[in-house]
Amino acid sequence: MPGSIRPVSVVWVVLVCLLFCSRLLSVGAAPICTNAQAGCHALSLANLFDRVIQHSARMHGISNDLHSEFEQYFLPSKNQIGRVSRNCHTSTIFTPNGKENAQRMARQELTEVILKLLVAWRDPLWHFHQSIAHHHDFNNFSANKALEMSDMVHELRKGVEKVAEKMQMMGIISNSVSSLASPEALLPSDSAEWRLMKDYDLLYCFRRDSNKVQNYLKILKCRIVPEHGC
Amino acid sequence: PPSAPSTKCYRCCTSHSSSSSEPFPLSDPCLSLFFSHCISAPVGPHFTECISREQETFRCWWSPGGFHNLSFPGALRVFYLKKDSPNSEWKECPEYSHLKRECFFDVNHTSVWIPYCMQLRGQNNVTYLDEDYCFTVENIVRPDPPVSLNWTLLNISPSGLSYDVMVNWEPPPSADVGAGWMRIEYEIQYTERNTTNWEALEMQPHTQQTIYGLQIGKEYEVHIRCRMQAFVKFGEFSDSVFIQVTEIPSQDSNFPFKLALIFGVLGILILILLIGISQQPRLMMILLPPVPAPKIKGIDPELLKKGKLDELNFILSGGGMGGLSTYAPDFYQDEPWVEFIEVDAEDADAAEKEENQGSDTQRLLDPPQPVSHHMNTGCANAVSFPDDDSGRASCYDPDLHDQDTLMLMATLLPGQPEDGEDSFDVVERAPVIERSERPLVQTQTGGPQTWLNTDFYAQVSNVMPSGGVVLSPGQQLRFQESTSAAEDEAQKKGKGSEDSEEKTQKELQFQLLVVDPEGSGYTTESNARQISTPPNTPMPGSGYQTIHPQPVETKPAATAENNQSPYILPDSPQSQFFAPVADYTVVQEVDSQHSLLLNPPPRQSPPPCLPHHPTKALAAMPVGYVTPDLLGNLSP
Repeated sequence: MPGSIRPVSVVWVVLVCLLFCSRLLSVGAAPICTNAQAGCHALSLANLFDRVIQHSARMHGISNDLHSEFEQYFLPSKNQIGRVSRNCHTSTIFTPNGKENAQRMARQELTEVILKLLVAWRDPLWHFHQSIAHHHDFNNFSANKALEMSDMVHELRKGVEKVAEKMQMMGIISNSVSSLASPEALLPSDSAEWRLMKDYDLLYCFRRDSNKVQNYLKILKCRIVPEHGC
Repeated sequence: PPSAPSTKCYRCCTSHSSSSSEPFPLSDPCLSLFFSHCISAPVGPHFTECISREQETFRCWWSPGGFHNLSFPGALRVFYLKKDSPNSEWKECPEYSHLKRECFFDVNHTSVWIPYCMQLRGQNNVTYLDEDYCFTVENIVRPDPPVSLNWTLLNISPSGLSYDVMVNWEPPPSADVGAGWMRIEYEIQYTERNTTNWEALEMQPHTQQTIYGLQIGKEYEVHIRCRMQAFVKFGEFSDSVFIQVTEIPSQDSNFPFKLALIFGVLGILILILLIGISQQPRLMMILLPPVPAPKIKGIDPELLKKGKLDELNFILSGGGMGGLSTYAPDFYQDEPWVEFIEVDAEDADAAEKEENQGSDTQRLLDPPQPVSHHMNTGCANAVSFPDDDSGRASCYDPDLHDQDTLMLMATLLPGQPEDGEDSFDVVERAPVIERSERPLVQTQTGGPQTWLNTDFYAQVSNVMPSGGVVLSPGQQLRFQESTSAAEDEAQKKGKGSEDSEEKTQKELQFQLLVVDPEGSGYTTESNARQISTPPNTPMPGSGYQTIHPQPVETKPAATAENNQSPYILPDSPQSQFFAPVADYTVVQEVDSQHSLLLNPPPRQSPPPCLPHHPTKALAAMPVGYVTPDLLGNLSP
């Protein structure tokens, strides 16, 4: 009996390996190709936009939740909105403040704005998560949300870069978008201003900026590929 | 001047409500402040609310509060500060609507994501608010309600009681969803008409939704509202739409009717089957045959139950057909499953043409009868046919040696009352007898076949010091047989003093014989006379014989001494002979000669459980002992 079991088990192991390997290979073959290589599974621009917009919506939702939680813990005795606006470190980035302004802005510029915003928030969010994790006033739920937020910013930035690449490939935007090469170069030199912000202010600022990103992406999508969901 | 606490209270509460839609936590400091200061103090001029409908324009409303002198138009002015640059200034409201106390900001003056702060100022630039009313436009957006709400019927459940409905609508026209400027999610609520128990469905961004599980016949009211995704402020509800679906008669009637028909037919069939089964006992027998209980021959266990002592005693004392050793077929006549091995009438009829052939002893000892090879002592029916012991207790005693069996049988033989020598011969020849088949009776004198009408079951009531065994009387043995014998004997013995009843009774009983081989004289003397009177009855009366155990050893000595037959067969008139012995006595011990030493019975009248007690005269006699005195009483 054992003699007959061994070859059977070997066969099973081989089958399982084949399954997994095929999975891995298929995953490897599934990434979005920018060069339209043969065998690539290329996503459409609309599909890309949808994914990115969903991502940004989720990011904005998390930031909203965290902000509400903060308000419960630290009810501002004074109206801090006016005070805060001067402290957001992304205030220097020029962003359209209305629908017409956003619609009038060139796609390339709008894409750049989006990328700038996302880049500007990568480090502050990471440090915010660190400070929350060590703070005893917050529960694990908040800390997990902060971590998720910072991860999302990172992922969203990569997604938007992919979208920009696709758009460039399709000729929608010109290739002279220098921001795509090194967005960090666009940041103002005093980017360390965010370190002076308190947690609550930081959350407030990020909530606003995530809403901006979501809005700009939607406008871009409905302007470029208005087929679905506009 | 406005009271500082009141405006502070108001600002605190409104600022909290503008930023989150959640209610106040109980530990809220604003709440405590409100209760401590705000309730009593009058409220000054303040902004009630600022709302944007499409995130492109917004409006603000104010109220003079308790300051009625400021309620005339133009008394209060609205100033705003737009913090889009570090050096921004306060500006006055671009568009007033004094009738509605509203300040309208158009597209040119509206900037999203930029904080606005509002102020109410009087004529003389007095600021009435402690704190500026600040907000950002995206946070004050309340979309208009959706339009074109209507519904379509999706399906009806198979039971015909509920249905599903698809509701669809259009986004509010003011919200620029097409450009992607606003991302809206919708919430539908429905309730039964004229109730306020609204049930809300899950929020979703599409412009249609299904409502499941509405009930037929009821009227429902549906309305919808919307809000920006990831924001908290809802717009107003739309106008209600009413949904109602009436019953569809076609489906309802068929379904239960068929079921009712099927169940009714099934029920009737079951009823018919039950009635048929219950009224046909044979059918019941076939379907549910009764399980026969084991029947052991002997005593019906029903008699052992409480309250049937008389019948039990009757059986135990030898009532019925043949005493204890006989079964009573009467008890089982109503049960055909009980099988008894019955004595064939033909076997026993050879010698006597009697209805009741008497005990098996007779059959066993009867010479002309063919005797079965199987001889069982004490067995009632074991003689003339093979016994397969069905349903009966085995009456074969393996311990008993065959020879002893023969000896016992020999001793049981009454022998010839007048032939003491013969009986002696019998005794002597008992061991000589080899044939187990032939009863020992044959070896006796060829006289009339008198044998004791003794059963093999005879209870030993007492053992004499001399070694004799006193047996208990049996009752009503061979009633019919001994009637004639009794009459004859009565005539001969002259038992006139006795009642006829007693005669018959006594004749029916076993007679108590005392065997005294060593020669206590009284018994033998008295008995000798009796013995000498030959019972000419062809049938011997019932009588006892005391059996001396192991007569082989002692008999020669005994007989040598006494020169008498150790066996005394009193005639039936010697019924007085008997001692009323109890049917059961306690065995005290067994002596070396294997005789049972019994407890002397109590000196009293025989127990009442013997309904057919032999004599009344013997009432005072101790059971089992026949003393000379009493013997004298016994003799007629």
